[in-house]
Amino acid sequence: MSLSNPRRRRACLAALSALILLPAAGCADGEPAAGPGKSIKIGLLASLSGTYQAVGKEIRDGFQLYLSSHDGRLGGHEVQLVVADEGNGAATAVPAATKLLKQDRVAALTGIVGGGSVAAVYPLLNETKVPFVGSNGRPELKDVSRVWHTSYLSDEPGEAIAQHVRDNVKGSVYAIGPDYQGGWDELRGFTDAFVKAGGKLANPDGKTTFTPFPATTNFTPYFAGIKASGAEAVYTFYAGSAAVDFVKQYAQSEIKDIPLYAAGFLTEGGVLDAQGDAARDIYSVLNYSPDLDNAENRDFVAAWKAKNDGSPTTYAMASYDAAAVLDRAIAAAGDNPTPERINAAIGQLGQISSPRGTWQFSPSTHAPVQKWYLRQVRQDGRALSNTVVGDLATVGG
Amino acid sequence: MAADLGFDPYLVPAVDGVAYGLLVFVAASGLVLCFGVADILNLAHGTLYAIGGYTAAALLDGGWSSLVLALAVGVAAATTAGALVAVLLTRAARRNHLTQALLTFGLALVGGSLLVSAFGPDQPPVRVPAALDGSVVIAGHRYAAYRLVFIGVAALIAGLLHLAVRRTRAGMLVRAAVDDAEMVAVLGVNPARVRVGVLAAAGALAGVAGVLGAPIIGPGPGTADVVLLLSLVVVVLGGLGSMGGTLLAALAVGQIQTLGVALAPSAAPFLLFAAMAAVLAVRARGLATARRAA
Repeated sequence: MSLSNPRRRRACLAALSALILLPAAGCADGEPAAGPGKSIKIGLLASLSGTYQAVGKEIRDGFQLYLSSHDGRLGGHEVQLVVADEGNGAATAVPAATKLLKQDRVAALTGIVGGGSVAAVYPLLNETKVPFVGSNGRPELKDVSRVWHTSYLSDEPGEAIAQHVRDNVKGSVYAIGPDYQGGWDELRGFTDAFVKAGGKLANPDGKTTFTPFPATTNFTPYFAGIKASGAEAVYTFYAGSAAVDFVKQYAQSEIKDIPLYAAGFLTEGGVLDAQGDAARDIYSVLNYSPDLDNAENRDFVAAWKAKNDGSPTTYAMASYDAAAVLDRAIAAAGDNPTPERINAAIGQLGQISSPRGTWQFSPSTHAPVQKWYLRQVRQDGRALSNTVVGDLATVGG
Repeated sequence: MAADLGFDPYLVPAVDGVAYGLLVFVAASGLVLCFGVADILNLAHGTLYAIGGYTAAALLDGGWSSLVLALAVGVAAATTAGALVAVLLTRAARRNHLTQALLTFGLALVGGSLLVSAFGPDQPPVRVPAALDGSVVIAGHRYAAYRLVFIGVAALIAGLLHLAVRRTRAGMLVRAAVDDAEMVAVLGVNPARVRVGVLAAAGALAGVAGVLGAPIIGPGPGTADVVLLLSLVVVVLGGLGSMGGTLLAALAVGQIQTLGVALAPSAAPFLLFAAMAAVLAVRARGLATARRAA
């Protein structure tokens, strides 16, 4: 992570100059709330620089896409969207969130790529009593009374695909993933549900094999262990550059014919382009695919493609949904939508129609109860894409 | 299944360890030249490798001609950068290693930031020539074709390097400069020029390793650190300044990083440094006893 320092510094500088320039606008209306038809301030925090900037930009663009296709209004109020840079993590996210919550006094906060950033910003949310509709990172939180997520919990993809793998693989399955919190959660979700369904892990000690993260760039030695274990399939979770290394080396290894199942992030977005043909035929589980056949998704994908190259990812979709959630909650919060009223209204939303299909917030975790899809990397015109090949379990709550 | 018995499951990691070890050797040999021969501790060495790697990612398009072009550009760029380090080190060359380390570490930070701002914070994909972008079956095992060819090419480079140091006039001058720099100066050879030449040659080696090794240790923000760390381990294990020892140490590092990880996956995070500590505890001067460039 040698790039974090200069980037962090630049982000700090940007936040600092924003801090100097913006108070005029922030102080002018004083009240975070807005009257009927008056404008309302929404804060969006996402990584626009650093390691996760690809995800951060999808989140920003997804939210803005919803605004531009709804006359720039949420719940009948004109929206002033204040965007801030989360950078590489908590160190940059906290000052940026402080500015949004205390200086700009936004009525609601959305975005945030990293789970660590969410955990770091969480005390500020409690202090300012502003609702947060997150669209990606979701750490373990004690009290979620003001925290909502339109994404998923890290153990849900594995949980959703476990039964399918159990039913379709004749034999044991090898579980392998990166050695950090995200990897533990993703793999635990799979292995717990898989073993519960009567499946057998091929790993020699019956436990997931974890690879040092981010140090591992050569996966060949692990492939020898997979081959020797006699596994009939492999389940994994990697993201970013590790996903590219894993998939490219897998395709050239002696286990290339063993079916590969994965949490969707292995082949989602930009990494699929870098993997190219090596990713062909990989099965993955995710809550979204751009080829889902429903009216909301057709509108969403068409609007996205009019402004961007390529198809939208689950990150953009979750942020688009965060805007949809705020739209309905602000409308339901009455003429004077204060943060408290918006938060209460989110809890009453019920079913939400979305490009991913209909979902709703779980009353206990405040994360979606949603359907998961089985996708396979297949040729779609000139490019490879994640094509939906079936429905999996509905998971959440 | 015969595959369940004996050594067979570990054949691929063992072969891969040779590929990995030879890559580390080519990368580390430059550092050995600097440190063992010119007595300069160049912590920017990993950055020179990254220059080669980014060049490969930018220029390779799946054809052979692009590989030749990437090699030419990458080696030229890394050689120039190596010579630049030598020029900047002119004042510090006679000072102790700490001064050199601080200066070159600063250069590594600056170089790393420049590379990231030029090529972006992501790991760019590297496209090897189409003919090598597949796998071959050897002894019933499937293995990446590029890595197999790389073993041959890297072994050739190691052989040429050995000949250059042993047999050429430049190599003899360099070895003479280690033995007695003043006597070489009396012979009419400027030691400063020898130093610039050695650092430029070290840069060229890092550039070759960077371009050819890009599909194995790919360019990215962390590449310079990874390569520098592996190279330093090899230099220490190899007995400070001996090419033969360096080769032995690099092959050992390769095997630890592949065969070792395959045999003991749970120990993967600290296997390399545990092995290094063990070697140093037993033989403080590294694997090879030879003190000088072999």
